[in-house]
Amino acid sequence: MSVKAFELVPAVERDLLMGDKARINIECIECCGKHLYVGTNDCFIHHFLLEEHTTPKGKLAFSAQKLLHKYLGLKKPVNELKAASALERLIVLCDNSVTVVDMVNLEPVSSGGARIKGVVSFCLNENPVNGDPFCVELGVIATKRRTVQIYMVYEDRVQLFKEVSTPEQPCAVCLDGYFLCLALSTQYMILNYSTGASQDLFPYDSEEKKPIVKRIGREEFLLAAPGGLGMFATAEGVSQRAPVNWSESVLGAAVCFPYVLALDEGFVTVHSMLDQQLKQTLSFRDGHILQDFEGKVVLASTKGVYVLVPLPLERQIQDLLTGHRVEEALTLAEGARRNIPKDKFQIMHRRILQQAGFIQFGQLQFLEAKEHFRKGQLDVRELISLYPLLLPSTSSFTRCHPPLHEFADLNQLAQGDPEKVQRCKLFLISYLREARSTEGANGCREDVDTALLKLYAEASHESLLDLLASENACLLADSAPWLEKHHKYFALGLLYRYNSQDDAALQLWVKVVNGDLQDSTRADLFDYIVDFLSFCPNLDLVWKYAEWALQRDQKVGVQIFTRRAVSDDQTDQMNPDAIIEYLHKYQQATVLYLEHLVLERRLQKEKFHTHLAVLYLDKVLGLLSQSPTLTQEVTEAREQLQNLLKESNLYRVQLLLGKLQESELLLERATLHGKLEEHDKALHILVHQLKDFPAAEAYCLWASASRNQEHRQRLFHLLLGVYLDSDAPGDEHTVAAVDLLNRHAGMFDATQVLCLLPEGWSLQLLRPFLSGALRGAMHARRTSQVALGLARSENLLLKHDRLKYRGGPVVVSEKKGCQLCHNTFTEPDCVCLPGGVPVHTHCAAQRARDSPRKRQSTNPSNHT
Amino acid sequence: MPDYAKTKKPDVKLVILGDMNVGKTSLLHRYMERTFKDTISTVGGAFFLKQWGPYNISIWDTAGREQFHGLGSMYCRGAAAVILTYDVTKWQSLVELENRFVSLTDTANSDCIFAIVGNKADLTDTRAFAVEPEENGTEEKEQGPRASSSPAAPPKGHKQVSREDAVALYSRILQYKLLAEETCLPAERMCFETSAKTGYNVDLLFETLFSMVLPSIRRKEAQSDSPTVDLEECREVKGAKPGCCT
Repeated sequence: MSVKAFELVPAVERDLLMGDKARINIECIECCGKHLYVGTNDCFIHHFLLEEHTTPKGKLAFSAQKLLHKYLGLKKPVNELKAASALERLIVLCDNSVTVVDMVNLEPVSSGGARIKGVVSFCLNENPVNGDPFCVELGVIATKRRTVQIYMVYEDRVQLFKEVSTPEQPCAVCLDGYFLCLALSTQYMILNYSTGASQDLFPYDSEEKKPIVKRIGREEFLLAAPGGLGMFATAEGVSQRAPVNWSESVLGAAVCFPYVLALDEGFVTVHSMLDQQLKQTLSFRDGHILQDFEGKVVLASTKGVYVLVPLPLERQIQDLLTGHRVEEALTLAEGARRNIPKDKFQIMHRRILQQAGFIQFGQLQFLEAKEHFRKGQLDVRELISLYPLLLPSTSSFTRCHPPLHEFADLNQLAQGDPEKVQRCKLFLISYLREARSTEGANGCREDVDTALLKLYAEASHESLLDLLASENACLLADSAPWLEKHHKYFALGLLYRYNSQDDAALQLWVKVVNGDLQDSTRADLFDYIVDFLSFCPNLDLVWKYAEWALQRDQKVGVQIFTRRAVSDDQTDQMNPDAIIEYLHKYQQATVLYLEHLVLERRLQKEKFHTHLAVLYLDKVLGLLSQSPTLTQEVTEAREQLQNLLKESNLYRVQLLLGKLQESELLLERATLHGKLEEHDKALHILVHQLKDFPAAEAYCLWASASRNQEHRQRLFHLLLGVYLDSDAPGDEHTVAAVDLLNRHAGMFDATQVLCLLPEGWSLQLLRPFLSGALRGAMHARRTSQVALGLARSENLLLKHDRLKYRGGPVVVSEKKGCQLCHNTFTEPDCVCLPGGVPVHTHCAAQRARDSPRKRQSTNPSNHT
Repeated sequence: MPDYAKTKKPDVKLVILGDMNVGKTSLLHRYMERTFKDTISTVGGAFFLKQWGPYNISIWDTAGREQFHGLGSMYCRGAAAVILTYDVTKWQSLVELENRFVSLTDTANSDCIFAIVGNKADLTDTRAFAVEPEENGTEEKEQGPRASSSPAAPPKGHKQVSREDAVALYSRILQYKLLAEETCLPAERMCFETSAKTGYNVDLLFETLFSMVLPSIRRKEAQSDSPTVDLEECREVKGAKPGCCT
């Protein structure tokens, strides 16, 4: 728990003060800059000049030079000394009276004006309110009972300013602003000498033990409390810090931020005000006085004077960090925030945070370490550099000097424990990921990304691909060997691609697919390459690798072209004609590509349709010529062909028909005849050669699908005719004809059919047809009657509306006047203006003539 | 101590009072560190800062020893809440609260709230005992005969202070403070029985008190409308401000 916060350095040796006179003791001291004043029990004041210097060993030392000593001539001890440096005066308490002497020659100033009599003890206000720089405020405990006085000390005079009475006899006093902090005989209290308001603090038996009242800052005091405590109290009477635990025999206390020092019989103890912990204990016997003067802590025995030199804060913090006491170091640093200039503090604080982070990192306390790295704004590369080989060789980074930590590298830190190394690496991964997403990686993105890539590759981390696929700054030259080493060829390809070296990427991937290199990252790498080529803008590259892809797998390879947007531009290398020409070696690919163009893209070009149809046909013929024929495949191939023949209208029918002439593909031939509107031929093939009656019916429906009802009727009649053709009689044809009639009763004109049918057919046979036809006729008749009725009613309604809008009768009488000329009507002839207003015919004509339009055209002479 | 909050200024103060060995430090330790461990008799006092939402609450642990009694009223000065702690197995500890500690709270805020807490409930109460301790601490000293820590054995401690006694004390405190009982928080809500050892009711105690002193914090904030703008203060003031029409 101990810190070395102070070092005890002798300042004035015994022989310099009193030689060998045994009975002379030091009574009081005052230190002001380099000037040290010592008051002794034989009424002398000694004045020393204290020079600070560093020994060759690097230790701090003091050399005291005696300037003067002065006998006050009272044979009483000098009780207290206080310097008022602004006035160049030393205020001396001796024999219950305060005198003011010159700081340099120690001669009393002027006459008897500068003297206060009847003083038990006094203190200086270090935070005076009056604001006069050439005046010092004194708080004085007078010999007069229960009284505290405030004096103003000027260069050459002393003036009583205020006198306040206290409830009990005061025995120690301290002053800050208007606040007197007093130790009374049974308690401490705060007294505002301006308002007279008082605030009890806590009881303390001052008779039994010497009270301590010590100002430690603005309106805050440190007091000796029962049980050897050092209590903090503000002027409001509140304790803002927890007490420090001194010994019962404490003699004096001093403050040197952030420490509280206390002197007892055998030791000087140092407590931190920040966490109230005991930080250092210095053994010191016969301690007599412990006081702080402007940050300098002076300790005196009865015979000698010492200085407690605080070690520099940085040094203390470094000591704590060396001892891995991170929290204490940080508390100390935070506590010093107010005492150090802001920019300097920030630099120091950051460094401490970083060091603290590394200590915790070394202890594998990653959460805490991360927090400290973050707060300390650590250069990420400091951390990366711990891991061998992670920083790119081109990185300009050098570790901070002096070093932030004691580790050479990760291996030293982990001492060869692979599990520790692994955990450290996982930590770095998570840390770098966070750094990437924040400002932390600014200025060293390349280093960070490259390091992350290496870590991912090494750990076969799934995020490797994400990193490469997203925006990154990985250095190719440095990453490539690493990725190769870890067989991450796919990732390396991505990196090449990111660096616009698509060719290199493809080369690598092709090798993986071919099995020359091993990388199982993607099982579907071939598909990936094809996909990549399908939108690769570099056409040279596409042509270069398309060959390889097609040779490997036509079906997949052709996707390079099918996924691409079709270009109609003939000059473009990627227009369909050029592609088809390119693909001619690969029949399957050609078929797939044409299918893509014709069936998916619905490109309306005769060339493609014919080409595809021919290819389909060739395939069918090829399959048929094999023996034994593969029924399944033939069926499939024929279906494809048939569908195309039926759906498309663009192919060259004659060409195909010529090719088919010799074959047995009757259905296809029928379809082609259908395309040529040679329905009789088609039906003849279907009925007589193929004898497939359902197909014949389907043909009728197909061939008339986009035509009107009459066309369909014509086809069905044609089919019926073929069935009933007496040239080729047969039972099956009769049955087919009956079935056709019965099934598609609606498609026929019944009267025509009845004429056609042979006499011998029974009514029963045709019953469904006849009843269907009859029903159809009835239905048609009734429907038309309804339509007629509806049309009539509509007509009636219209007539009614017309009459309604024509309005009522127009009444003209001799008493009624014309609206235009206001004369009465003499004759029944009249004109009705809109709105049913009757006017004279001649008036209406006049008005029509005078209308503005008319006037313009009839009176052009007006212009002249 | 991992508290960077130390350098921050606390917004509100809570003080724990009570006779020695009733478990004040353990109670606070259980709440702050979530463990129960041997504590030595507190010297003087100690304090912790607890971050409660945007607020810093300072909790003062005081020394129960007679020797430090005089410091109590200083600790209580300006307190927004006082936790008066006794030991359910020691009648005297409740008596001491009334005799010695209640008068210390004279210096607390006028609207200070009081909680009466009977600690060591695990010794007498099966419910408190049954709470699964987060960590099996060693037994506290100077507790006399006490139950074995194996769950099979029920608590055998003799309960000397009943909840009714605590409730009665609460109303006497209100009388002493010249407060009408109706206007104050009801005794049922302000009397707790806790166990620092098992953690029984400990969180409940502190969190109830924190939520009760929040109005006090807000008022303090409204009062301290200092002309100096604190740039580091990034508290959302908007929420606290009432609308223009209210």
